[in-house]
Amino acid sequence: MEQDAQLVQQCLQGDGSAWEELVRQHSRRVFNICYRFTGNRTEAEDLAQDVFLRIYKTLGSYRSAHGGFATWMTSVTRNLLIDHYRRTKRDRITDSLDDALPVVENKQSSARRPDEQALLGELSNQVQSALTKLSPELREAVILRDLQQLEYSEIQTVLSVPEGTVKSRINRGRIELARILQQMGVRPS
Amino acid sequence: MTWTCEQTELNLTDYLDGLLQPEQQRAFDLHVNGCDRCTPLVASVSHAIANLRSLPELETPPRLVYNILDATLGPRDTVTGWAAVRAWIRGFASPRFAYGMVSVAATFLMIVTASGFNWKKPKISDLSPANIYHNSNRAAHRAYARSTKYVSDLRVVYEIQSRLRQDNELPTAPEGTLPESTPQKDPGRTDGTNPSTPRQQNRANDINSHMQVLAEELPILSGRFCFVVNGTLSVMSGGGRTR
Repeated sequence: MEQDAQLVQQCLQGDGSAWEELVRQHSRRVFNICYRFTGNRTEAEDLAQDVFLRIYKTLGSYRSAHGGFATWMTSVTRNLLIDHYRRTKRDRITDSLDDALPVVENKQSSARRPDEQALLGELSNQVQSALTKLSPELREAVILRDLQQLEYSEIQTVLSVPEGTVKSRINRGRIELARILQQMGVRPS
Repeated sequence: MTWTCEQTELNLTDYLDGLLQPEQQRAFDLHVNGCDRCTPLVASVSHAIANLRSLPELETPPRLVYNILDATLGPRDTVTGWAAVRAWIRGFASPRFAYGMVSVAATFLMIVTASGFNWKKPKISDLSPANIYHNSNRAAHRAYARSTKYVSDLRVVYEIQSRLRQDNELPTAPEGTLPESTPQKDPGRTDGTNPSTPRQQNRANDINSHMQVLAEELPILSGRFCFVVNGTLSVMSGGGRTR
């Protein structure tokens, strides 16, 4: 955490290599959050790039006293993802008509890039698909808790909601995810 | 404490994250174990979380970092001339490349040494294919002969140890019950059999000579002292001496 704060200070003084170091250290985490939220690799890559552009522009507003750099960066990522979600809502309404048909869904799934297919596997594919079916507020809570392993207090900072709301969203998100997975035929053995 | 299905649903995350108080935990378990609605709910949510956590963390796309750096710091200058050569050479300084080179060098050294190349007096002619073949052939035969000799030596040692074990297992006869000598038979033969065939005698002589050599070179054999007197292996075991 101290190392990040130091790198941020160096960046603010115009040190390009410090910025490069920050990007290298955190790009994987940002990319994974974006991918789990959107379920699309290309979209996640573009969003991750936008996240770092925004971080670069607003780096001066980061205060280490208000929390770790990773938490702040997650907060920026989350805000950008929500903006993106709202912006593309109309496209998704059209898509959701297709989603209602399972055959079409399978076609979409098999239209993924081959390396992506190999990487995810069948179960991972189904879980990712179920995750993207959650509402954005439940999805982000579940991603931050169960995939990014953040503490409740950190999620509270990222989402800017009380801890009780955080717990409630995680709880509802998990139950909803289990229900969707059961509908997809993924049941506990 | 009475517990309801609604409470189970509300407190499921706290239960799964281990945040319930002991009393709540007991009430939760008691209810869930006897409730047809809550048992599958807890199982399915636990399963969903396990599946979620098993999702792999994806690698960063290779061009993402460069795209970000280009978009923020601007495109980097293209290196040309000697600077490009220096940058290219610097690439070889990576640990991965160094390990690879060391392993290639070690393999090369092993192959050249095995082909009979003399490092103390190197000759160009040693590197000609015919000489490499002859040297390798000679080295292989030498290695085979050494290994054969080693196996043979091991066999002799094993036979000696077997004999010593047999000697130890024989009951020590009291002096008063010593068998009488039979002058008409060969000394040492009490079983009344004919003397050994020439082949067996040769083998015995061969083992005897091996014993002499081993006894001279290995004073300690299997925790006993052994020495040769008149061509017979004698063994000192504890305080006594047997022949």
